[in-house]
Amino acid sequence: MVAVKQEALLAQMRKGTLQYCVLALLSDEERYGFDLVRSLAETDGMVTSEGTIYPLLSRLRRDGLVETTWRESTSGPPRRYYRLTAAGRAALDAFRGEWGRFRDAVDHFVERKAG
Amino acid sequence: MSTAPDKLVERYLKHLEVELDDVPRDRRREIVDEIAGHIAEARAGLEHETEADVRNILDGLGDPAEIAAEARERFELPASRPAPYKAGWMEVGALVLLLIGGLIVPLFGWLIGVVLLWLSNAWNVRDKIIGTIFVPGGLGLSLFLLFFTASASFSGGSICDVDPSTGQDVNCIDSSTSSTDFFDVMKIVLLVAIVIAPLVTTAYLTYRLRRRPAAAMA
Repeated sequence: MVAVKQEALLAQMRKGTLQYCVLALLSDEERYGFDLVRSLAETDGMVTSEGTIYPLLSRLRRDGLVETTWRESTSGPPRRYYRLTAAGRAALDAFRGEWGRFRDAVDHFVERKAG
Repeated sequence: MSTAPDKLVERYLKHLEVELDDVPRDRRREIVDEIAGHIAEARAGLEHETEADVRNILDGLGDPAEIAAEARERFELPASRPAPYKAGWMEVGALVLLLIGGLIVPLFGWLIGVVLLWLSNAWNVRDKIIGTIFVPGGLGLSLFLLFFTASASFSGGSICDVDPSTGQDVNCIDSSTSSTDFFDVMKIVLLVAIVIAPLVTTAYLTYRLRRRPAAAMA
């Protein structure tokens, strides 16, 4: 029972922070879906099912945090490229500040207890 | 080139589409298209594609049900698929009245059936259109037409071709003679079709009721 709850909590934390990881990946360059997903999946522990990124991308687009453009690809059909909007950049910057403080605060308690 | 991987991909996308059934159409299209694109990109990157490779790509994407659950959460839709697929009095009423409502109270009985059909959440728009146009009035119309044509055929009549040079009627065919067999056969086929159509529609709508919960569990 406790184990199930903890699993669900971790899943929620991952889900809540995932969108900022996506925004961060887009902060320097625009990317297409497959490229984005591959980058996220390369880092262990971030994404369990790659397909779940796509509903998130759709939501971010609807919220105006990213925008998309179709571009021709040399190797196949056109790709939809995702790019940060001004609102997306503002959301990412705000999160960066909050996340730094939050991470430090949690580390402060968790690491002391463990030691 | 083996077609087994294509079949796997096709089945996966179909499954995803069914799982996303309750997600608004434009978003469903967007997600399915993007995931189809993802699969195509991943497959294009393979040197020598094997069935195992394609299975790994699909496994990496995850269970369609999981992707659909994520979509519901991201779009703030009800967590599980809504329950309206369970047939209640509305669905039973719609099925019964569409079929024989026109026999109980001509026209109005059927109309109430149509209203119930469109109010119910158990069918999609395509099902509702099918239920409405095959056949307006249900068995009530079928029986009305049956009586109408039965009495009309007693009155007889004749079919003529007009000779353009003389303006005279030629090739007159009296409907009481055996040469009208073709028209009679057509008439009977049509009548049978009109009687069977509402029955088929009812069977179809009932089948669609049963199909949904099974799909939701898959």
